[in-house]
Amino acid sequence: MSGWGERAPERVEERIRVQPDGTITALSGKVEFGQGIRTAFAQLVADEMGVPIERVRVVLGDTAQVPWDIGTFGSRSVAQEAPALRRAAAYARELIAKGKAVEGVVPDDVPLRPRSEWRYVGTPTRRLEAGDIVRGSAAYVADLRVANMAHAAVVRPPVRGAKAGRVDDRAARAMRGVLAIVRDGDLVAVVAEREDQARAAADAVEVEWATTAPRTMERLVIPMRDDGGVDEALAAAARTLSASFSLPPISNAPIGPSAAVADVGDDSATIFAGTQRPFGLREQIARAVGLEETRVRVIAAMPSGTYGRNSTGDAAVEAALISKRAGRPIHLQWSRAEEFALAPARPEAYMEVAAALDAAGRITAWRYDEHTNAHSGAGLDPRVLPMTSGRNAIPHYRLGRARVTLHVEPTPLRTASFRSLAAAENIFAIESFMDELAHLATREPLAFRLAHVEDERLRRVYERVAANAAWGRRVGEGRGLGIAGTIYHGTYVAEVAEVEVDASGRVRLVRAWAAIDPGLTLNPDGVRNQTEGGIQQSASWTLYEALRHRDGRVVNAGWDTYPIATFRDAPEAIEVDVMGDASQPSTGVGEPGAVCISAAIGNAVFAARGVRVRDLPMTPERVRA
Amino acid sequence: MKTRLRVNGEEREVDAPRGATLLSVLRDDLGLTGTRFGCGAGQCGACYVLADGRAVASCLLTLDQAQAMEITTIEGLAAKGTLSPVQEAFAAEDAMQCGYCTGGMIVSATALLARDPHPSDQAIRDALAGNLCRCGVYVRAIRAVKRAAEGGR
Repeated sequence: MSGWGERAPERVEERIRVQPDGTITALSGKVEFGQGIRTAFAQLVADEMGVPIERVRVVLGDTAQVPWDIGTFGSRSVAQEAPALRRAAAYARELIAKGKAVEGVVPDDVPLRPRSEWRYVGTPTRRLEAGDIVRGSAAYVADLRVANMAHAAVVRPPVRGAKAGRVDDRAARAMRGVLAIVRDGDLVAVVAEREDQARAAADAVEVEWATTAPRTMERLVIPMRDDGGVDEALAAAARTLSASFSLPPISNAPIGPSAAVADVGDDSATIFAGTQRPFGLREQIARAVGLEETRVRVIAAMPSGTYGRNSTGDAAVEAALISKRAGRPIHLQWSRAEEFALAPARPEAYMEVAAALDAAGRITAWRYDEHTNAHSGAGLDPRVLPMTSGRNAIPHYRLGRARVTLHVEPTPLRTASFRSLAAAENIFAIESFMDELAHLATREPLAFRLAHVEDERLRRVYERVAANAAWGRRVGEGRGLGIAGTIYHGTYVAEVAEVEVDASGRVRLVRAWAAIDPGLTLNPDGVRNQTEGGIQQSASWTLYEALRHRDGRVVNAGWDTYPIATFRDAPEAIEVDVMGDASQPSTGVGEPGAVCISAAIGNAVFAARGVRVRDLPMTPERVRA
Repeated sequence: MKTRLRVNGEEREVDAPRGATLLSVLRDDLGLTGTRFGCGAGQCGACYVLADGRAVASCLLTLDQAQAMEITTIEGLAAKGTLSPVQEAFAAEDAMQCGYCTGGMIVSATALLARDPHPSDQAIRDALAGNLCRCGVYVRAIRAVKRAAEGGR
């Protein structure tokens, strides 16, 4: 098993295989869950090999076929994989031209095709899966069926982590369709012929659960930037402003709850799972069922879009253990309530910001304290936390003296990755506060930002989105425009929101604009779709969503109690201007679109009504206040 | 216990409990997995099918109730393999990301266009309000429904 960063030299046959019928198989350890990487990879392999895209088949995330990969997250797939796949494809073309077999180490200096010969890269390309999706024939994890498969349901404890004691399964055993009640440590499950039978019987199993006292959790304080003298500069400044912002925990809330199909035998195992880390999951399952890693095959099947949630392999590990105990293949489908209650959530966050302005309206001091919990599976490793829980906490502006501190304060709520990790929270606070500072400085909000921007690519996305939205125009009564921007993992993005606030305080996102520069752009329509989706999803977080929990238990575990945006809430249009700088390396687009819209909406609400909402979600009560 | 069911224009015989949900029968007995499980409570639209031409949640119908109805699933919309206008429009607009909810949206849009061939923006929003999408393709999906209504242009 490779560790972080260490990689053997790339071999072409691990990446590109030419089939006897001339089909090209391209292999990657990344996985597809709706972000469009299968299509992007096919585009660049087709171009580099000079073949029609229809001849390229992309195999993703099957541990028996693809090269090892750390996982699919952080909008890194195109940035990391594009160069490796491109070089392998170029080398394969060179070998084929010389009549040689497609094998061997890919030389670093393999010549790449000039841009003028590209046919697909940079051109809007229809998603390869589109036909299967609209026909209903695309197979998701939950759709997979294997011979002799039975269905399982897990008996859930009242609180996560409870220890199973005595099990009384007499009533359950007598129920229709029940094949077995299995137990592996604290995991108790029913195996039945039909899914609803398994679930009904699981409800009838009585388990004596012993809840453990919540352990006291370590709090960490991590300095992320300290220029020194910040408190003194704030105390001495003529004009200062401070504010605090809060965001509740929110759920990944995929439309399809977690599912897995597992077939675990005495000496080998095959697992179909929705996972962002097929190799990490293979390791986890091998350990759980007591097999060598090489005896375990994990196939990353298409899950419902999950935005980070599939960085943990919950259902797959459970299915593997149940299959092992039951001695037959198992289909495990989590219920909607299980998904809301058990899946890791984005943690709550609380930010305290203070800044000072000089007479010319320039920021001379900045103090920022972010309080939140772990945002990724890497947990509480202090070397990783600034990049996860602290992501985008340091603004991309000229700030004078700055101090940015991350406070990691765990709660019993299970937390892990969610689209953009903490960036959306930090940018909500930072970009809302920039607006407040602009008003204190009596500067127009865009001009105030541009006066503090150092990076030309950031300036360009701000100027472009402002032009597209006709920033500064008069909007109707009860309406307002708001702007926000950032740099996310090398991708430049700025967004404008136009909102309408009615008398009750209800906020409607009328229209949104984005300008995004992800460097060299593979599929412009793919970038637009991802950015639009990021805006729509993040508008939902901003206006409607809050996961409530008590003692680690989620209180609202259904769509009725955890509403998200519907068709009725969709804006009239989302206009995305893809302005990728083709001279710059490709950067990711799965997450950046979701990062800025909360602040843009908040700033637009202020412009519409003069009310500054610093706590999410922006419910009518908060907007009226 | 065998039950007869009309699905996608064919008479099918199903050996399942009469109280089983239509959703589970479609997926587990008939192999029609394009109709998807999302919530089991009729709140998300992933499991919508056409029942006598109306878009309904198949997770709330029992096999017993469904046997009196003409059921069409997402797999039944492409006549002889040719995409229906709604399917074609969703593909053309790339009105999908993960695609998990897409089948349900197409079912709702098909029912809408059958009763209102030229729906207003608001009528589209209302007709598809029961179809949740977490990836956030609502704006594209509205465009796709309009495109289908305009004959694919």
